[in-house]
Amino acid sequence: MSIIKTENLEKIYKGKGKNAVTTHALRGVSLEIPQGAFACIIGKSGHGKSTLLNLIGGLDNPTAGRVFIYDEDITQLSDNKRAQLRAKKIGFVFQSFNLLENLTALENVQTAMLFAKNKAQNAEDLLALVGLSDKANSKPAQLSGGQQQRVAIARALANSPDILIMDEPTGNLDSQSAEEVLEHILKLHKSGKTIIVVTHNDDLAQKAEMVFEVKDGKLTDS
Amino acid sequence: MNLLKFVSRNLFRRKGRFAFTLLGISIGMASFVALLSIGGNMQSVVKQKAEGLGANFLIMPENICIYNQMAIVTGETISEQLHYDVYESVKNIDEITVIPHLTQKTAISEMPSVVAGILPEETMSFKNWTLASGEYFATQDENTAVIGINFADTRELDVGDTVTVRGQELIVKGILAETNGNDDMTMFVPLSVAQRIFDKEGYISYLSAKVADMTKMEFYEAEILSVASVQVATNDQLLESVLSILGSVNSTLQLIAGVALIAAAFGIINTMMTAVFERRREIGILRAIGGKKGFLFRSFLLESGLYGFLGGIVGVVVGYAVSLFAAPIINKDELSMLKGVSAQADIDVQLVVIAVGVSLLISILSGLYPAWRAAKLTPMEAINS
Repeated sequence: MSIIKTENLEKIYKGKGKNAVTTHALRGVSLEIPQGAFACIIGKSGHGKSTLLNLIGGLDNPTAGRVFIYDEDITQLSDNKRAQLRAKKIGFVFQSFNLLENLTALENVQTAMLFAKNKAQNAEDLLALVGLSDKANSKPAQLSGGQQQRVAIARALANSPDILIMDEPTGNLDSQSAEEVLEHILKLHKSGKTIIVVTHNDDLAQKAEMVFEVKDGKLTDS
Repeated sequence: MNLLKFVSRNLFRRKGRFAFTLLGISIGMASFVALLSIGGNMQSVVKQKAEGLGANFLIMPENICIYNQMAIVTGETISEQLHYDVYESVKNIDEITVIPHLTQKTAISEMPSVVAGILPEETMSFKNWTLASGEYFATQDENTAVIGINFADTRELDVGDTVTVRGQELIVKGILAETNGNDDMTMFVPLSVAQRIFDKEGYISYLSAKVADMTKMEFYEAEILSVASVQVATNDQLLESVLSILGSVNSTLQLIAGVALIAAAFGIINTMMTAVFERRREIGILRAIGGKKGFLFRSFLLESGLYGFLGGIVGVVVGYAVSLFAAPIINKDELSMLKGVSAQADIDVQLVVIAVGVSLLISILSGLYPAWRAAKLTPMEAINS
């Protein structure tokens, strides 16, 4: 059974103002990802990878086409309903970590729990899971990039999501930190989560069960 | 982690901005509280003073204006005057006890002072004064003075001291025990002496009167008007007209307080709009990890409300402190009607509740638009900003 399915996704960004540039970011992308899969989306910068990921996560609406999560067409849902869906089923990890700067590592995870529908574990356990128990009271600025990304992974797990969506999770990390993060991702995959990663990291792509390459807004056969 | 903890973390993250915004609403609220409590204080002082007159009603020059009526209540000089004959005519009416006053403002020991010419014997039996020290007048025309206790204190005068009024030396003969009225702030001299010093021979300022039965006031008034061309006002009437003036002073003060609050409201709007702009990316992150619009709306509104709540409390404390210090200064200079206001601005629980409530309401209203702006951002436009 596919947990994620897209049908002919199109996304056109219309610029505003006099010299507006219109960008055709996606041109009819259809894919299916089964439950528990580890899928990678690869491709060059500016070819539509992140756009595809954002549409799958319901952060944005497509210009045309549909996105199904568990057979539910999320393009028909309101903004709030999509937020609710994310709170229930999806965990996000971003390239630039995107932690809340004024909160500690623990509080960042706890904040995500405010919205979580099914909190399986407490925030301390999640930090332990990514090996950061001793950094619970550190603010993001006091953490290394790798540590911040692990906090972001702990945060993404706050709602025990079925799906983890990661946008270049190792993109801003040195190779050792990238390695650590990769290990965590694989661990999560083994625990049964469906993982979709946009990446430039070949190691990561090689370990994936499915690889989608996006080129000029379309999927190429790979 | 809960909403309040989340919001308070945001509130204190920019300490300088937090402090200045809080200062804005606090100053607004402080002026609101100070002006209102000073206004309320004025009213209670005037009431107290009117009671201190010890009369049921006053007989004043015809067509006396309301400011002069107020001057009588507060013990000031009035510009119009009555002929002494009026006293002679009115005192013969049955059931009315009446005493004349000639009040004049002058400088004594380089301080503005009220000198009142009285008939010693009649005034003593009318007012039932007691003396704190020294003696009372023995004759109707001696060059001596009996002074109120505050008058003595503020000018460091004692029995036996000499006071010069318009070149005339007067010996302080006695000091009155505290009356809690204007008498405490007045220097009394025999009427004939006052008339001579101030070139008012044959004149008085007004008469205060007591009657046996207040229900027959109309009758007495008719009797008085049949013998003299004067204006009669009961103590309550007088109080009412004075309070109506204070009412308009109060509205002016409230208007000033209102302007201060509006300025504070714009301060909050500005701070919150800046916060929304600064935190666009965070708003996007919160949306991405499942935060609904309502959460963002509530968190920004609560943040704004906390400014009002904290500002209200600081404002009330500062406002009362200001009114405590300002009241005596205002007395001395601007509103002489307030002379003798005790420095204790009453802490009115109702005013405190209203002040904090108003502050909270203003801050929540100010937060509505910024909170709406925050909630309206889509995750993508917020994250990509």
